[in-house]
Amino acid sequence: MPLRLLVVEDDDSIRTALRWALEDEGYDVAEAVSGEDAVRAVAVAAPDLMVVDLMLGSMDGYAVIREVRRDHDLPIIVVSARADTHDIVAALEAGADDYVTKPFEVKEITARLRALRRRAGGGTAERAPEEIVLDADPAAPLVLNEARGTVHRGDTQVPLTLTEFRLLCELAASPGRVFSRQALLERVWEHGFFGDERIVDVHVRRLRTKVETDPSAPQLVITVRGLGYRLDPR
Amino acid sequence: MRLALGPRGLRARIVLGFAAVTLLVSVVLVTATFLLARSYLLGQREASLTRQAFADANVLNSRLATAGTDVGDLLAELVPSGGADVVLRSGDDWYSSTLDVGARDMPPDLQDIVAGGAAGTVRIDGPDGPALVVGVPLRAVGVEFYGVGRLTELRQVLATLSAVLAASAVAATAAGAGFGVWASRRAVQPLEQVAGAATRIAGGELATRLPPTDDPDLVAIVAGFNSMVDALAARIERDARFVGDVSHELRSPLTSLVTSVEVLGSRRAELSPRAGQALTLVEGELRRFRRMLDDLLQLARLDGDATAGSGLPVSMTALAREVLAVTGRPGELLEGDPDGETLVRADKNSLERAVRNLLDNADRHAGGARRVTVQRREDAVVLAVDDAGPGVPLEDRERIFERFARGAGAARRSLPGAGLGLAIVAETAARHGGAAWVADGPDGGARFCLSLPAGTP
Repeated sequence: MPLRLLVVEDDDSIRTALRWALEDEGYDVAEAVSGEDAVRAVAVAAPDLMVVDLMLGSMDGYAVIREVRRDHDLPIIVVSARADTHDIVAALEAGADDYVTKPFEVKEITARLRALRRRAGGGTAERAPEEIVLDADPAAPLVLNEARGTVHRGDTQVPLTLTEFRLLCELAASPGRVFSRQALLERVWEHGFFGDERIVDVHVRRLRTKVETDPSAPQLVITVRGLGYRLDPR
Repeated sequence: MRLALGPRGLRARIVLGFAAVTLLVSVVLVTATFLLARSYLLGQREASLTRQAFADANVLNSRLATAGTDVGDLLAELVPSGGADVVLRSGDDWYSSTLDVGARDMPPDLQDIVAGGAAGTVRIDGPDGPALVVGVPLRAVGVEFYGVGRLTELRQVLATLSAVLAASAVAATAAGAGFGVWASRRAVQPLEQVAGAATRIAGGELATRLPPTDDPDLVAIVAGFNSMVDALAARIERDARFVGDVSHELRSPLTSLVTSVEVLGSRRAELSPRAGQALTLVEGELRRFRRMLDDLLQLARLDGDATAGSGLPVSMTALAREVLAVTGRPGELLEGDPDGETLVRADKNSLERAVRNLLDNADRHAGGARRVTVQRREDAVVLAVDDAGPGVPLEDRERIFERFARGAGAARRSLPGAGLGLAIVAETAARHGGAAWVADGPDGGARFCLSLPAGTP
């Protein structure tokens, strides 16, 4: 069954050409011409993936992403005409998983989509245990279940996006080991040497707000200055 | 020794002006003071000497008239008052109260006056210095009286006075020059501030402004300067934004073009041979168009974003290897130092574009790169791209790094390239505190170099 993909783009030519090209790549493509339209389409059609242009009409791409992220963990790729630091970081912080800048080639988008849909831990050979206890706090332990794709704090499930979950799995697979931003980009996003390392930073920030007891003083996902990140189970 | 007579600075001119004016004023004042003091003192002295001479003459006259005594004896008795010497003439005989003066010192002019029956005074330069001679005829007794009063003391007083006045003139001039230094510093200080601000602005700190001032003389300068910088900054920003906006506007149609052509490309088999050829042509031109647009945007970004030069540590060797791999060039082209020693702090994507542009430049103008070397040279990491082309003439070596400059033959050979590639290399280098240049390559071609400051991990 083909993956359902929602393209949110207000420029008719781009949207149409993009639909054709993505259908050629085997996706089942739905279109949305505005932000409101996109939010409705996500609620009704529950797509597997989303490609969002940042500059839409009254409801812009950031608002769409924030709205969709309330209830959905699907991978979202932002398409932006502006590659300015501010726009990209804002989109990532709103909840986007990755971005491409216009003009792009469709194979760039499909490569990103494939990477984001890859199952957590699918690429790594080592056999991870069923459950990993990340925080042994007796009152509310933080438990990662890689096979089921869930993280629980006590009895409640922590709502991670697919990408945040994969990032956490990648770090948890080798506790205490320092991963460079470059390495995480390659493992989680499958970006090459010239990938944007800010993607990692923003995702780590987002992940911390969900799994750390105090996100401003992280105890679990630690920044190693000048080197990268490491996960310290407690 | 020659005096340096070149153009003087404002400060030197102000100091010299102040010194000259004080010198002139003090010379005039001192001279006037001296002349007045001298004539007053001389007048006083002469008056007292004359008075005294007449008094002595009177005494002598009455003595000679009553007693009829001998002139010589009388002269011995006469105690000259006030330090004046007395010389008497009786007929052809001369008598003198002291050996220091005598008939020989009496000026003939005065002798003539006195002989004519009138009194007179004459200033002489005696053996002991200047003196005043007062001649009085004592006709009743047939004697001529000459009183000789010395002016030596007065001369010493005047010498001291002139020394004091000269010293004060010198002191006043020095004080004037000192005041000039102070005044010039005050006058030049705002200019130095302006110069400093202008230098900072030229260095890219467009937010630099002169601090507001209450000084009514400076308000206009400060306001004028600041509004000039405002206008300049606005202009630069507008230009950069224009390039950026135009490029962004072009992105949307280009995106649908690229995507549509990709859709066509995946259906190439359905096209007629001619249509397929046309599609290939369109694909090539689209790639070129994309490159140009990317170059323009990159330049706009380098122009507009002051922080484009800062970045994370990246190994130049690893980056060069990646660029070769990504662009499908053989990795054997690269000869470099071990990775660790070629770290620089850079924006990876800007640096990638710069290196890629150097390689593309070699493709376009010199049949491709022959060798890429990355070397650590003291505090810099230098990436060099050697080619086997004709090299770059000396006179073109700066020009080719300017925007839209092309090699001499580029216009004739219909090779792609908007002439922005090397400008981006130069701008990227500048933004990272480095440099870009071209030299002769070891194999006779050109060697394009990109040098960045070495970074720490």
